[in-house]
Amino acid sequence: MTHRFISHEKLSKLVADLVAANTRVIAPVHAHDDAEQIDYLPIQKLEDASLGVQLPRRSAKEFFLPTTEVILQYRCEKEGVKIEEVPSAAKPQVILGPSPCDVAGLEIVDKVMSWDYRDELWFGRREATTIVSLLCSMADATCFCTAVGLGPDSVRGSDAMLVPTAGGYVVRLITPKGEALFKNYVSDQVDALDARVDKAVAEARKRVEANMPAIPADFAASLERNFDHPLWKTMALRCHGCGACASVCPTCHCFDIVDEHDDSERGVRRRNWDSCQTARFTLHASGHNPRASQNERFRQRVEHKFSIYPSRFGEILCTGCGRCSRVCPGGMNLAEVVGEFRKLATAAPEGGAR
Amino acid sequence: MKSLQELAFKLLSEGTVKVVIGYEEGPRGVRPAFITDPAQTSKLIFDRRCTQNLATYLNPRRKHITALGKAAVVVKGCDARAVAGLIREQQITRDSLVIIAVRCGGVLEDPTSTAELTADTTSPRCGQCEVREPKLFDHLVGELPPAPPVNPRRSEQIAAIEKMTAADRMDYWNQHLDRCIRCHACREACPMCFCVECRAERALPQWVDPSPTSRANRAWTMMRVMHQAGRCVDCMECERACPEHIPLGLLARYVADSVEQRYGYKATEDPGVPAPLGVFRTDDGEEFIR
Amino acid sequence: MNLYQPHLMRICEITDETVDTRTMKLEFQDPAVAESFKFSAGQFGEYSVFGEGESTFCIASPATRKGYIECSFKATGKVTQALRRLDVGDTIGFRGPYGNHFPLDVMKGKNIVFIAGGIGLAPVRSVIWTVLDQRDQFNDVIIVYGARSVGDLVYKRELEEWSKRSDVKLVTTVDPGGETPEWKGMVARVPTAVEQAVTVVENTFAVICGPPIMIKFTLPVLAKLGFPEERIYTTLENRMKCGLGKCGRCNIGRTYVCKDGPVFTAAQIRQMPQEF
Repeated sequence: MTHRFISHEKLSKLVADLVAANTRVIAPVHAHDDAEQIDYLPIQKLEDASLGVQLPRRSAKEFFLPTTEVILQYRCEKEGVKIEEVPSAAKPQVILGPSPCDVAGLEIVDKVMSWDYRDELWFGRREATTIVSLLCSMADATCFCTAVGLGPDSVRGSDAMLVPTAGGYVVRLITPKGEALFKNYVSDQVDALDARVDKAVAEARKRVEANMPAIPADFAASLERNFDHPLWKTMALRCHGCGACASVCPTCHCFDIVDEHDDSERGVRRRNWDSCQTARFTLHASGHNPRASQNERFRQRVEHKFSIYPSRFGEILCTGCGRCSRVCPGGMNLAEVVGEFRKLATAAPEGGAR
Repeated sequence: MKSLQELAFKLLSEGTVKVVIGYEEGPRGVRPAFITDPAQTSKLIFDRRCTQNLATYLNPRRKHITALGKAAVVVKGCDARAVAGLIREQQITRDSLVIIAVRCGGVLEDPTSTAELTADTTSPRCGQCEVREPKLFDHLVGELPPAPPVNPRRSEQIAAIEKMTAADRMDYWNQHLDRCIRCHACREACPMCFCVECRAERALPQWVDPSPTSRANRAWTMMRVMHQAGRCVDCMECERACPEHIPLGLLARYVADSVEQRYGYKATEDPGVPAPLGVFRTDDGEEFIR
Repeated sequence: MNLYQPHLMRICEITDETVDTRTMKLEFQDPAVAESFKFSAGQFGEYSVFGEGESTFCIASPATRKGYIECSFKATGKVTQALRRLDVGDTIGFRGPYGNHFPLDVMKGKNIVFIAGGIGLAPVRSVIWTVLDQRDQFNDVIIVYGARSVGDLVYKRELEEWSKRSDVKLVTTVDPGGETPEWKGMVARVPTAVEQAVTVVENTFAVICGPPIMIKFTLPVLAKLGFPEERIYTTLENRMKCGLGKCGRCNIGRTYVCKDGPVFTAAQIRQMPQEF
């Protein structure tokens, strides 16, 4: 990783040049319907962006796994059915200024998307996208990225990272894609850049480290052992089972596949966002539901994130962004739940030496 | 609030109820509480941050809650109207629960806020409230606070929309509904959306595409709002629950006003008063229904 | 195209096994795929009616036969009801084969007891024919198959064929009350039939599939007979969508039924959280 400097003017020119070259540039922007909210939206110029103001309402995953996506088109003809190619959605794009928690989520989900079968819909977009994250100084009491092995300075998934400094940004160049993007826009000045980055990182991490201690490596196993613990009967009483948490989460990726008619001859098959929190998620056609109450469904979410995904892919399926807890209408709090189960894990065994 | 806590303690320790559904302090502000242990009743609070409508937790399809046993539920006036609705529509019986009503001075729109009640922070529904001293209860607690400030935001928005042409109104709603992701949080937070199988999730036949497309999002939202006609208690939980901040409370208010204009009916705390679209009368003015 | 694109299949034969269970024989429309398509007994696929959706069934035909596959299903929901409305000559989609398979290599040279109930015979039938197509590689083959009534027995022509073979011991049974005057088989529930029909346990594998209640009462019989749980194979079902491990729907604890299964040993199932 090398550090370079980019001025505001040069960054502005970079954005303008990208837009002129028909590359979509997405950045955090003040929401159209509510000035107090930030959304990831396409920009035409750097000045449209609101970098480092607030965590956007939704994560960046929708640019790789859209809320709804046509996966095939069919046409019923007299001779039979024809399946039509869906035009590739993988157009070059740059995501500018996403938070490290959102970006790391993409790399974490890469694991399941490449598990034996490579999901070209996801990876086509991943490969066509250059991600320039922003060092995060926005952590509040609900964030816990450092506890899951990330941090406001995490470069996981980023091609480059911007660190605000006097006159512009220090650019941390991480991948060849990132280097290629910034090559003609960064200055050669390298003095004191490392020190500036270190200072910014230290300040940013301090904001969030106190929120939750690092989750230990054996938590996944202890959560699996506690699958039938009575605590699960009390944790989800206020949960509405709406799945709003999953929708705003950078790592929740569960989806549904449905067919839709356009008319009597033509239609599409779609992949839509879905969530294990909904009552119908595991409902069999027979009427049997292995997760018949919200207790089991909530348990599944926590187990999937902190036990199942780690045991299968070596990654916690959570980036500590805190959105689920902020958006939950029932007041559920993932950090609190994790905390309760960690207490169980560290409780001293009955009798005998530690 | 001490009288609430003492009452809850009494109800639990005497075994009158098995769970008290109320409000407590959570890590991020006020949240619903499910107290089963008399020793925990000191957690129960009631103040201006108690926005949530707890009646939604009485829905009989929430089996993990009904499994706890007979409940006492803390309600404001608006919430009590929802309880009345559930009784009116035979989802619960009056004697199956204990209603603890609280005298209310209005609530913040955001239960995680600590702001004082102002014209900006108060929930827009509170300014028109006629049930600050609820009438449906087994126990009535608390002092009656002063009337809340009026938040004009919603009436201003409705007035602005009413001045729009039909095309502009459509644009306005499409712009919002395009963001809908069909999480159905609006439905889950709504006490009157208690259907075991929502019409929108029925596959045989499929009334509404489940996909979050423009046309399906419109169909879903309009279907849900129309199903609320004459039933909605205007608690605005739908709007609060929506992770995309779609202004669903506007539709709720509009439909309620339309029902009041046409049928002279407002959601009421009296479960004995039938709702206009939920009852058949032989002297109905319409020919087609006879 | 992407990994969710199905093969186009032509329905070339339809057989009604019972009042509510239908078997379809499907041919690959693309001759290259017809030539190259391979699968192993126990694997499943996603069968689709374009415009209605996809449904998950095992491949019920044997892995030793080329150019076509078969599936058997009951019209329970939206897609299966749409499947039932189709005719010979119509087109459906098929994605697969997915999942793991019965480890026949491990069973070579050994005895196999096939136990099935009702439509549970479908995945087992795939294994049975695959074994019969390589009969000399296996030792004794016993099939115990039962249903609630004579009318509920599936693959009746094949039961007839198997009963006539001297290298297969076939025991068919119906529940008490399900027999007809002409019925010549046993009248007993499957667990009871198993207890009577199975005498050799050494070097023997059990392959069992059927309604959960049948499995629940048959496993103790197998245990009593002395089958270790590692030698009892069954298939699990769960609600599926993608069938290839990404949509997050079919897991039981850390086990993904579509990837680690659908074939599991009784020992593996015991290790899982009991959430199915």
